[in-house]
Amino acid sequence: MTSSPEIAMPAADPKDPYAMPALMPSSADRAIRSFDYADFDIPTRKQEDFRYTPVERVEEFFQPFASSDDVTATVGMIDGSALPDTVTVRTASKEETGVPAVGEPADRIEAIEWAAAPSELVIDIRADTPTPVLVDVSGHGLDLAALHIVIVARPHVRADVVIEHTGSARLAEGVEVTAMQGSELSVTSVQEWNDDSKHVGGHRLRIGAEATLRHSVVTLGGDVVRLRMDQDFDGPHAKSDMLGIYFVGAGKHYEHRTMVVHNHPECMSRVIYKGALSGEHAHSTWVGNALIEPTAPGTDSYELNRNLVLTKGAIADSEPNLEIENGNIVGAGHASSVGRFDEEQLFYMESRGVPERQARKLVVHGFFKELVDQVGIPQIDDRIMATLDARLDESVAAPIAEKADDGTANNNENYAHNQEEN
Amino acid sequence: MSTLEIKDLRASVETKEGRKQILNGVNLTIESNTTHAIMGPNGSGKSTLAYTLAGHPKYQVDGGEVLLDGQNLLEMTPDERARAGLFLAMQYPVEVPGVSMTNFLRTAVTAVQGKAPSIRTWTKELSEAMERLRMDPKFAQRSVNEGFSGGEKKRAEVLQLELLRPKFAILDETDSGLDVDALRIVSEGVNRAKENTGMGIMMVTHYTRILKYIKPDVVHVFAHGQVVETGGPELADVLEEEGYDKYLPEGTTESALA
Ligand SMILES: Nc1ncnc2c1ncn2[C@@H]1O[C@H](COP(=O)(O)OP(=O)(O)OP(=O)(O)O)[C@@H](O)[C@H]1O
Ligand SMILES: [Mg+2]
Repeated sequence: MTSSPEIAMPAADPKDPYAMPALMPSSADRAIRSFDYADFDIPTRKQEDFRYTPVERVEEFFQPFASSDDVTATVGMIDGSALPDTVTVRTASKEETGVPAVGEPADRIEAIEWAAAPSELVIDIRADTPTPVLVDVSGHGLDLAALHIVIVARPHVRADVVIEHTGSARLAEGVEVTAMQGSELSVTSVQEWNDDSKHVGGHRLRIGAEATLRHSVVTLGGDVVRLRMDQDFDGPHAKSDMLGIYFVGAGKHYEHRTMVVHNHPECMSRVIYKGALSGEHAHSTWVGNALIEPTAPGTDSYELNRNLVLTKGAIADSEPNLEIENGNIVGAGHASSVGRFDEEQLFYMESRGVPERQARKLVVHGFFKELVDQVGIPQIDDRIMATLDARLDESVAAPIAEKADDGTANNNENYAHNQEEN
Repeated sequence: MSTLEIKDLRASVETKEGRKQILNGVNLTIESNTTHAIMGPNGSGKSTLAYTLAGHPKYQVDGGEVLLDGQNLLEMTPDERARAGLFLAMQYPVEVPGVSMTNFLRTAVTAVQGKAPSIRTWTKELSEAMERLRMDPKFAQRSVNEGFSGGEKKRAEVLQLELLRPKFAILDETDSGLDVDALRIVSEGVNRAKENTGMGIMMVTHYTRILKYIKPDVVHVFAHGQVVETGGPELADVLEEEGYDKYLPEGTTESALA
């Protein structure tokens, strides 16, 4: 590692690795990037990035395939109105130059997706667009499909894009988002797949100088959903918000990996992912990587993941990783927790006349409400809360998290890799 | 006029060492508008009695009945018991992170009354009730009991008691951990609720000081899972003087027995 001369690089303090730069030899972000899937090994659980992934359930996405037509994507406005002339939508060939895409695939799944996607769906937002743009991605069958979406907000443009995934599909999807200088863009990806669906892929995000990107992921349906988000900056004084909401039912695996790279000065990033789990073998994974490079003095970064385990037999993996290579920062923090809704809380509320189902609802609403509001798309707020309710109702018959009468909390069943608040 | 009848109630709990009998045949009848104080040594089963009446799943009923105006409470879920008119102010109120007091109270009042109170009268009723208990209005926005001090939790219990207007209230050491002013404020809340509703009260306490504010009609001594003596208010003073020695087998304490 070399560092620019004006940036002091004091030695790391092993007792307080976050106070001083840790001169770590390698970084997730310096892993291979390539459009050629042959450059990546076939994922196994031995690889760091796939440690928590049930690879056998997504292995069909590890080998090249020809995309079927089982998944369609149509672009309109969220209120059903016609596309305004501030938004240009077109299908571009992948060879076309001038499509301002973000970067190369970061893992084999993304590289395979790139190879399989027949073209790119480009959504170019050239002026302020007050009504959210809706990308309706519908699955009509389980033949493998690949989809590549490119979203660009031109300089100083304000706009919102919602990508909605519904139906039944096995989809590899790549989304590239560029928020150009001074723009204010939000991109919200909602996964409300049917139970038979699988969805893998990644979002590659770049935020220009003075721009703000609010990137939200809402995963409420599907058998397996595995998304990685790789975000970096293209200039100073930019802001990144990455929000995530998930509700994992019995037997499902939802995995979200966020990678924030601070590569420019005085940028701010906030990663907030919250999830609830309910039912046997419900499994969630959140891995939050944040890298603060020597070129990013004045960085302010924070990541948080909270999990609410509603029943026995659900597992939430939560792992924040911070790499700080710059001593001159405003802050770099993380917090991660796995909490259980327990019998005592339920009894307390019931003893005040509140029925069990409603008590659970209160807790789940309280857990998510603020974050749903922060996603900031009023047109989908109510639906997200309603879907959360429906998912909860489906799982209410399941036994509750913990029988307290044996006096032993079942921490092993619901473990966190990091339960400290920092 | 309502009656809460506890007849030969037996209950046990599953422990690491096996099943443990805690209630050994409790008999007690409480009428509307009367206050029963229950006093007894630590570990004698007072909280267990309170929890068992409210339906805590940890406690298994092994025999006996509990009737509220003839309805068998033991066959009801905890929320059904609350809707039937039972209220338990807990010795250790539970924290429920993420659920605001105001939202929780409104949900509970709606459940117990069977219909939602109108927003306007509800807001007023809540803020007035909180003011009478000298609770900062900010508490309404905080999560249920989360980070409340011991005394604040007890006030919040009495706040719920006032709003839910039960037929019978079980107060499990609601006076413990209160400073002198809070003791008076909380007692006034209980007395107000009783005046407004004519509820019957079963009050578990270790101290006669609260009996200055909440006058008991009957005092019971509770030991090894039973009511072992019943008397008038003067019994409390005798207990304060003499302790529980005469109710325990010689040379033992209740905890050592337990
Ligand atoms: N869940 C439980 N597991 C094991 N033992 C229990 C459990 N609940 C109660 N006990 C035991 O039952 C006995 C009665 O407990 P309880 O809490 O009812 O006593 P108490 O009379 O309320 O005491 P205190 O005056 O200290 O509040 C005690 O010995 C207690 O340890
Ligand atoms: Mg007790």
